Amino acid sequence: MSAAPVEVGRTTEPRLDTLPPEESRGTWGMSFAILTETLLFVSLFFAYFYVRSLREDWLSQPPPHIRLALVLLAVLLVSSGTLELAKHALARSRAFLARFWLALTVALGGAFVVVQAMEYRRRLRDIRPTTNVYGSLFYAVTTFHALHVVVGLAMLVFVLFLPRLRPARGPRRPLENAALYWHFVDAVWVVVVALLYVLPQRGRP
Amino acid sequence: MTIAPLSSPHAFPVADGERDAALAARLDRLWSAPHTLFGWFGTVDHKRIGVRYLVTAVALLIVGGLEALLMRLQLIGPERRLLSPEAYNQLFTMHGMTMILWYAAPVLSGFGNYLVPLLMGSRDMAFPRLNAFSYWMYLCSGLLLYGSVLFGQAPDAGWFAYVPLAARRYDAGLNMDFYPAAILALTLSTTAGAINFLVTIAKHRAPGMSLGRMPLFLYSTGTTAVLSLLALPALTVACVFLELDRRWGTHFFTPDGGGAPLLWQHLFWFFGHPWVYIVFLPATGMVSMLLPVYARRPIVGYKLVAASTVLTGLVGLSVWVHHMFAVGMGGAAMSFFSAASMTISLFSTIQISCWVATLWSGKPVRTTSLWFALGFIATFVIGGLSGVVTAVIPFDWQVHDTYFVVAHLHYVLIGANVFPVFAGLYHWWPKLTGRLADEAAGKLGFWMMFVGFNLGFFPMHLSGLLGMRRRVYTYGADEGLATLNYISTLGALLLAAGTLVTIANLVWSWRRGRFAGPDPWGADTLEWSIPSPPPSYGFARIPTVTSRHPLWDEHDEYADPRRERELAEGRLTLSTSPIDAKPRAITAGEPESLAPLALAVAITAVFAALVGSGVVVALALVVVVAAIAAAWLWPRRAA
Repeated sequence: MSAAPVEVGRTTEPRLDTLPPEESRGTWGMSFAILTETLLFVSLFFAYFYVRSLREDWLSQPPPHIRLALVLLAVLLVSSGTLELAKHALARSRAFLARFWLALTVALGGAFVVVQAMEYRRRLRDIRPTTNVYGSLFYAVTTFHALHVVVGLAMLVFVLFLPRLRPARGPRRPLENAALYWHFVDAVWVVVVALLYVLPQRGRP
Repeated sequence: MTIAPLSSPHAFPVADGERDAALAARLDRLWSAPHTLFGWFGTVDHKRIGVRYLVTAVALLIVGGLEALLMRLQLIGPERRLLSPEAYNQLFTMHGMTMILWYAAPVLSGFGNYLVPLLMGSRDMAFPRLNAFSYWMYLCSGLLLYGSVLFGQAPDAGWFAYVPLAARRYDAGLNMDFYPAAILALTLSTTAGAINFLVTIAKHRAPGMSLGRMPLFLYSTGTTAVLSLLALPALTVACVFLELDRRWGTHFFTPDGGGAPLLWQHLFWFFGHPWVYIVFLPATGMVSMLLPVYARRPIVGYKLVAASTVLTGLVGLSVWVHHMFAVGMGGAAMSFFSAASMTISLFSTIQISCWVATLWSGKPVRTTSLWFALGFIATFVIGGLSGVVTAVIPFDWQVHDTYFVVAHLHYVLIGANVFPVFAGLYHWWPKLTGRLADEAAGKLGFWMMFVGFNLGFFPMHLSGLLGMRRRVYTYGADEGLATLNYISTLGALLLAAGTLVTIANLVWSWRRGRFAGPDPWGADTLEWSIPSPPPSYGFARIPTVTSRHPLWDEHDEYADPRRERELAEGRLTLSTSPIDAKPRAITAGEPESLAPLALAVAITAVFAALVGSGVVVALALVVVVAAIAAAWLWPRRAA
């Protein structure tokens, strides 16, 4: 295969069979997966606010612990930053540095899971999923998110152990695609904190 | 019968003897799966997967049809005791779930899998192994659903599973635990398939096939895929909530813990109504493809049909509440959803007008396929009109939960899904099998189905207006419903016999029919430019497109003086830009793999374990699922 355009008859376009290998379909697929995941959380928030609109006593439910939620938010935001640093390093072909930042991201993600488990332990003393519909919805939304964190972590760990971060076969851009998912999980937590933790503080007696 | 080709001076590339034979042999070695068990279970060929989808879905159509026949025999006269009320509940639930979820959408996925790459000159889908996974997951979810029958505990609260009827208090068996498990498994299949269709349509169209030149089936499949991605998550959430309520004591839907039974209905219909378009739009796409071929002219209003398809999908997302007019809501909300529901009929009207205009101004050739398409239009107009009147709220309150609605939804679903599916089967059968189906038997089957269908379902409008209730296993002798129901049952039997004739004709011709050749209908799109049945690699040379009707217009899509369209260095196909389809890159295909099958089986095992309350087993299986996924994605060693 030669890259130079060959002129045959009237055609001067570059040859079709010298085009570069396609690398973006994984990113496309991940983007559509994130679209449907977004609707999953929209449905969850719809359920939360629909039931909330039917009930007078929403604000008298035990309030969630906002401080730990903000700590979790900080952890996730920083982890998105370190993941971007990993991508940046890979883009400059510094694979070892990329793996370092990736490992740090995994550690931060692990920390998120641990801290949220701690938050759950405190919270379960106030209210349980089986206490009432508020408890059911609060734990449903946050657990759905936590499961997404776990799946995102699994993706990042998978990438961390890959022999090469730019495989010639199989997934072409594993780090970038996993990062897309991780940023999405991160963004969802911003919304969860705003709607489930901050919003109920307003107007509380 | 063979329609003479339109003015198409060089419809097929002139074979260059030896060179083409060598190329074909080389490509076939690269693309065909080994003839072993591994090849059979591991194939990623979109054509084989498409045929598997079609066969499985038609088998489930037969199962769902037999369930319906049992119900019709029970209802042939008042107060009969063929079925117990419990058996009747399970039958109508399984009939609804089978037909709507496991037949109507998957059969269209079958057409999509088979046709989408061929329509756009691609050699495979964007994610071939994911495609295999979609099929295996679909099959496994169906087996999980029918596994419930082995326990005698099939779902029995209707395919919409309203709470509190579906709650544990009123339905203590495993019946409604199978429901969310099987549906969650199915949504995984559908979601994977939708992503695959979208990426394929966006990136794999032949050079030159810009958005304005896409075959209409691609518009309808693409719109359907977007709808699936947007609508299915609501069902996922609803099913998870239902199972948590049933097994783990949460209070999403139970009023005693403050929950809201109506939340189920909102979540369910936010999925459920778009699903109606999911089972309908690809069918209209097929009709928009085949009807112009038999009318011998391009479709009238291509842009209008494409735009109506997309708009039906968009507006279809905002009409779910019209299933719930009888539950009590604010007047403004009800008016909005009523108006939105009526808007949708506008887009369907545009499409139907374009089809009629195409026939009117063409020279129709009356093939079996065209008869099924005409049957679809006639039936769908009736179903559409009975839908417009049920969008009128006072009328809806009168007929809600009566057989009028049963008649309406069967006119829409059989009209807009089953008839177009058989039109599509007759149209593409020569492509799938290389053989023509018998036209005389085909027309006999069509007329039996059409007459049987109308005989069976039209009287239900009347029995519904007379007050016959849905989902009740019998009716009283003094209600004046006996004659209408007797006619309905006779019609159902005729419809079943017609379906049998049709399917038998197709199966018979698969082996015995006359050879079709590449293009028996003189059709216009790329799939007809290759042999029937298509070789494993599809296109020997990646075609180029310069119009909407590549085979009807002047074309030289196979001219390849520089031998650059052969892409015979591996499983390769071309990737193009999403809007104007400019060549951008070369996509490497994927080899056969057992990972998709293994993953589908493992995921189904997780759901089965959850039905059986084996939480520890389920968690262990989740680890297995993760391991299989990792093995699937692990980079292959160089071949």
